[in-house]
Amino acid sequence: MTGAKEAHTEPKRDITLRVHRFNPQVDGKPYFDDYTIQVEKGITVLRALNYIKEHVDASVSFRAFCQAGICGSCGMRINGISKLACTTQVWDELDRCKEPGVIRIEPLRNMPLIKDLIVDMDPLVDKMKHYSNWVVSSMPESRMGKKEFLVSEEEFQKYDKATDCILCASCVSECTILRAHKEYVSPAILLKSYRMNVDSRDSIHDARLGELVKDHGVWDCTHCYRCQETCVKHIPIMDAIHGIREDALEVRGVKDSSGAKHAEAFMSDIEKKGKLVEATLPIRTNGMAWTLQNLLPMAMKMIMKRRTPPPPPLVKPAKGIKKFREMFREMTEHVRAEKKSHKK
Amino acid sequence: MKRYAYYLSCINESMTKEVDRSIDLWQKDLDIEMVKLHESTCCGGSNLDYVSPKHFALVNARNIALAEKLGLDLIVSCNTCLMTIRTAKKKLDESPELRREVNDILKKDGLVYKGTSNVRHLLWVLADDVGFEAIREKVRVPLKNYRIAPFYGCHILRPSAVLGKDDPLEPSSLDMLIEALGGTALPYEHKNRCCGFHTLLVAEEESLNVAAEALKEAIDIKADFIVTPCPLCHTVLDGYQAKALRQAGIHTSIPVFHLSEMVGLALGYSEKQLGIKRHIVS
Repeated sequence: MTGAKEAHTEPKRDITLRVHRFNPQVDGKPYFDDYTIQVEKGITVLRALNYIKEHVDASVSFRAFCQAGICGSCGMRINGISKLACTTQVWDELDRCKEPGVIRIEPLRNMPLIKDLIVDMDPLVDKMKHYSNWVVSSMPESRMGKKEFLVSEEEFQKYDKATDCILCASCVSECTILRAHKEYVSPAILLKSYRMNVDSRDSIHDARLGELVKDHGVWDCTHCYRCQETCVKHIPIMDAIHGIREDALEVRGVKDSSGAKHAEAFMSDIEKKGKLVEATLPIRTNGMAWTLQNLLPMAMKMIMKRRTPPPPPLVKPAKGIKKFREMFREMTEHVRAEKKSHKK
Repeated sequence: MKRYAYYLSCINESMTKEVDRSIDLWQKDLDIEMVKLHESTCCGGSNLDYVSPKHFALVNARNIALAEKLGLDLIVSCNTCLMTIRTAKKKLDESPELRREVNDILKKDGLVYKGTSNVRHLLWVLADDVGFEAIREKVRVPLKNYRIAPFYGCHILRPSAVLGKDDPLEPSSLDMLIEALGGTALPYEHKNRCCGFHTLLVAEEESLNVAAEALKEAIDIKADFIVTPCPLCHTVLDGYQAKALRQAGIHTSIPVFHLSEMVGLALGYSEKQLGIKRHIVS
C-alpha cells in the first residue's frame, strides 16, 4: 500500500488564484489579479487567500471569520460556483479549472459589490426584517420565564434542517429569479420564513404568510433548484418553498395570487381529464383581460404554425380515465380523513 | 430491438407535437421501440407535489406501475416530467407506508407499484443504451457545419439527488450527442441554467429576463442554433423568444431545436418530416 508513504510526502504545487478586484474609490471597473503561490495538498481556498493577504498583497479584501464552515462569512464564487472558501479544498478545485491550475475567485452575485470579494448584505437583512424572519412569541410577557414552551419531536423535525442555515448567501447568489428581479424575496428568506411559520411558539404566522404571497414572494420561484444544489449545508430549500405554498393554498386558498390559481389548475385538470388543459391555463391563472393583452400576438403566431393547444372539449382524456378518477377521488377521501384526525 | 414504455407529456400532446413525431420517425433506425402509454396521466408538472403530496404520489405511482406492468423502463422526453416522476419514485421507494397506501388504491385497477422500472430521459437512453458509437455509425447527414449551443435545462440536472446522470455543474451527455452527430458543441455558460418557463404565467417579466440571457449568450457565441432536451425550455426559448429579446432590446433571432429533431436531421429526415416548420422562430 502506498497510502502511508503518501501521507509523509504531501504533494506541493504552484497554483494561481485569479481574484476579482474592485475598489470603487479608485477603479473605474472591476479587473482580475493573478496570485501564484505554492500550496500543499489539504489547504483550503480561504487559507490560500489568507496567505496572499499576509505575504503577497495586503490590499486584497474579503470577509472571513470562523474558518470552520460555521459563521457563513466567507461565501464567494469559486470557479463560478457560490460556496464557502473555508470548506473548499484547493485540490478539489484544481479538477474544475477552465484554465489549468487557475482558480477563479469572484464575489457572490445578486448583491451590491462593496470591494473586491465583499458584497453588501444589507438588502438581504432588510428582506429578513420585511418578512419577520424571527419568532414573535405567542406567550404573554407576564408569563415568560414561568412556563416552558414544549416542542414535540414531530414539530422539530419540520424545521430541524432549516435551522442549519448560516446565512452565507450562496443560495441568494445562485438564484435565477433574484438575478432577474432584485425585489424577489430570495431563497434564504423563504427558508427562514418557512422555519418561523411552522414553529408553534410563533404568533404571526398569518401576517407573515400574507406578505409571502404578495408580488415578488413565494409564487415567483421558478423551481430551478439552483439554491438547493448550491446550499453549503445541504438544506432541501425547495421543500421549504413548497411547504410555504402548500400552507398558503391551505390557509388562504387561491383567491389572492395567480401562482396559487396556476398550481390549483393542475390538480383540477388531472382529476377531470388526467391531462393538463393548456389552452385555458393563462386565463385561469391571470384572467381574460391579462391573457388577451399579453398573449394575443403570440397566439396569432401559434395559430399560423398550428401550434395552439387544443380547446378544452378537444383535449382527449387519458385512456382509462373513469377508473383513474375513482382512484383520484378515493385519495381525496384519504386526505380529508387524515386532516380530520389531525384536527382532533 | 430494445423496448421501452414511453410517457406521454401533456405539452408534447398539444403544443410541441413535433417531439413525439420525430421520435416516431427515427426510433427503429436506432434499434429502439417506444411503447406509448396512452393510459398515463399528467405528472403534476412540479406543482401537484405541494398542492397535494398524496395525489402526487398516487398519480405517478400509477404512471410508473403502467410501465412495470409491461416490464419496461419508463422513458420521458420532458425535463420537468422526468424530475417530477423521479421525485415521486424516490418518495415511494423510501416510504413503505406511502407505497402501501397508494397500492391499496391502485390494486382496484389491477395495478401495483413495485419500484422495478427505472424512470429515465430519452437523452439517457441515447447516451447509455444506444451509445454514441452506434449513433455515430447511423448518421447519414452529419451536422458538421453546425455550431450548436446545448441548453440542458434545470430538471434533467437538478436536484442532482433525484436526477444524478450528468454533473449539474458540467453536464456533458448532450454535448457528446452533438459531437456524435457530427456537430460542434459550443462552450455555453447557460447550458445548465434556467429557461424561466415555470414562472411565465406568474412573473412574466422575470421569466423573459431569464430566457433573454440564455438566448443572448447563444447569439453572442455565434451559435447556429440552440438544442434542448426539454419541450418546456423550447416553448420559452422559441415561442417567447421575440418577446424576451424585445424586452432585452436585442433585434435578432436564433432557431431552437428539440433534441429529437436534431437526431432526426442527422439521421437524414427532412425539416418538414420532423415538424421543424412548426417552430415560431424559423
